[in-house]
Amino acid sequence: MADVTLYHWEPNANSGKPMLALAEKGVAYDSHYIDMLEFDQHKPEYLAVNPQGTIPAMVHGERVLTESTAIMEYVDEAFPGPDLMPPEAQDRWRIRWWMKFMDQWLGPSFSMIGWCTFVGPALAQRSVEEREALIARIPLPERRVAWRKAMFAEFSDSELAESRRRVAQGVKLLEDELGKRGYVASNQYSLADINIFNSTYSLPVGSPDLCNPQATPNIWRWLRTVYRRPAVQQTWAKGQGRFTDRFNALMAEFA
Amino acid sequence: MAEAILYHGEPNGPSLSVLAALEESGLDVECRPIDLLSGERHALRGVTDSVALDFAVEGEGPVLVANGEAMAEAVFLAQYFDEAAGGCGLQPGDPYERWQMLMWCRQATERLSPAVAYLGNLAWSQKKLAAMANDDFERLLSAIASVDQRKRWQELRDGVVDAAKVEDSRVKIAQFAARVDAHLADGRVWLMGVFSIADLETYAWLRPMRALEPDAFAGQDRCLAWMDRVGARPSVKRALARATSPGPERSFAPGPEINRWG
Repeated sequence: MADVTLYHWEPNANSGKPMLALAEKGVAYDSHYIDMLEFDQHKPEYLAVNPQGTIPAMVHGERVLTESTAIMEYVDEAFPGPDLMPPEAQDRWRIRWWMKFMDQWLGPSFSMIGWCTFVGPALAQRSVEEREALIARIPLPERRVAWRKAMFAEFSDSELAESRRRVAQGVKLLEDELGKRGYVASNQYSLADINIFNSTYSLPVGSPDLCNPQATPNIWRWLRTVYRRPAVQQTWAKGQGRFTDRFNALMAEFA
Repeated sequence: MAEAILYHGEPNGPSLSVLAALEESGLDVECRPIDLLSGERHALRGVTDSVALDFAVEGEGPVLVANGEAMAEAVFLAQYFDEAAGGCGLQPGDPYERWQMLMWCRQATERLSPAVAYLGNLAWSQKKLAAMANDDFERLLSAIASVDQRKRWQELRDGVVDAAKVEDSRVKIAQFAARVDAHLADGRVWLMGVFSIADLETYAWLRPMRALEPDAFAGQDRCLAWMDRVGARPSVKRALARATSPGPERSFAPGPEINRWG
């Protein structure tokens, strides 16, 4: 039994961050697949680990850690292996800036569109009573609001338009950033790449008009570079391919 | 460390925490006061890379310009000072304690600071902005790159008040004061046990609410005593001494947005 246990969903967005960071550091871990669409994250056995009912969560010895970006920083500092933060202070600042920009500004827009187009429809066949019961057992009020909007398709046109605007703006900023440096925020593969790759690898599949070899050559070059890392391949093998299969096929097409 | 200039507003909120962190670090960085509510942050000289200023999640906070790059976000600037100084004690050395500090700071920047900024701007900056001449305001707005940040400026000038956001903000401020109080119940002196960025960031946002939301602090004696301890630190005193107006705790400019969803 490993000293580290990770509770995660698909190697995507938040769950994918600690999965990839652990793989890059070469840390073995016990993997617990939490099926978000079966609401495993709100069941008593998982709430005993993380009472907030958010995924991912990591247990290291006696310590329970939550919040994907903060978990990654812990992983980088607590375990030997390749450094996932460069030594220069200004690079480290820039990496943190980009991770916050993704976590708090761009990521929620990706998430809103994804929940509207994928999560909501996936749950639409459940009865109203069943959906209400699922919402009632969510511990955090903010998450109850989010799930209600997804389950009952309550996103307004203006909210979705704002999310689409932010995604387009964010893609442009990322394209510019990757024109300045080899990787996001520095010239070294870092936590910023792991963070942002997990939320953007689906762009060429889901938004091919926004992200393609002609429109975003820098992002395209970077996506292919990160995709080829052994840690990505190892990590994606732990998922069920819900999100990664189509990107895998696209990369094979452009190999 | 690169030659740098710190452009800061009155010592309140993010400008207070960053100025105090700089004092703690002992680094020799030139500090230049700017008027955030006049939009001076968007007209800085010598900036060749402005993306972090233009799209700062925290809104109108201080900016460190180093090698032409505009650096923003108060917590990360404090980490930068700590690391550029070779570790001045603003971040715990143990990875788990550092994770705890980051988690605390994230709660402060996601829940506390948007709430304080919302109420503080309505109370003390709305009238000033509404009184600005149209041409001056349009010039200010045109210098702001972020569409959603521009919208927050416009709504503040127009006096748009969302009653639900006001109430939500008041609740979050009271919850945070209570959270600080509960965290200190084991007798610790500082929030993370050792003094850290969490103390500066939390103090800098709670301080202006002592006058505006006094009920939030009623009965929170440990929180109030902790605020007195933070306020008595030489770094915080020196940061506050940089005030150019008699009430820096009433100095606000549009801050971070309240969560769009979930």
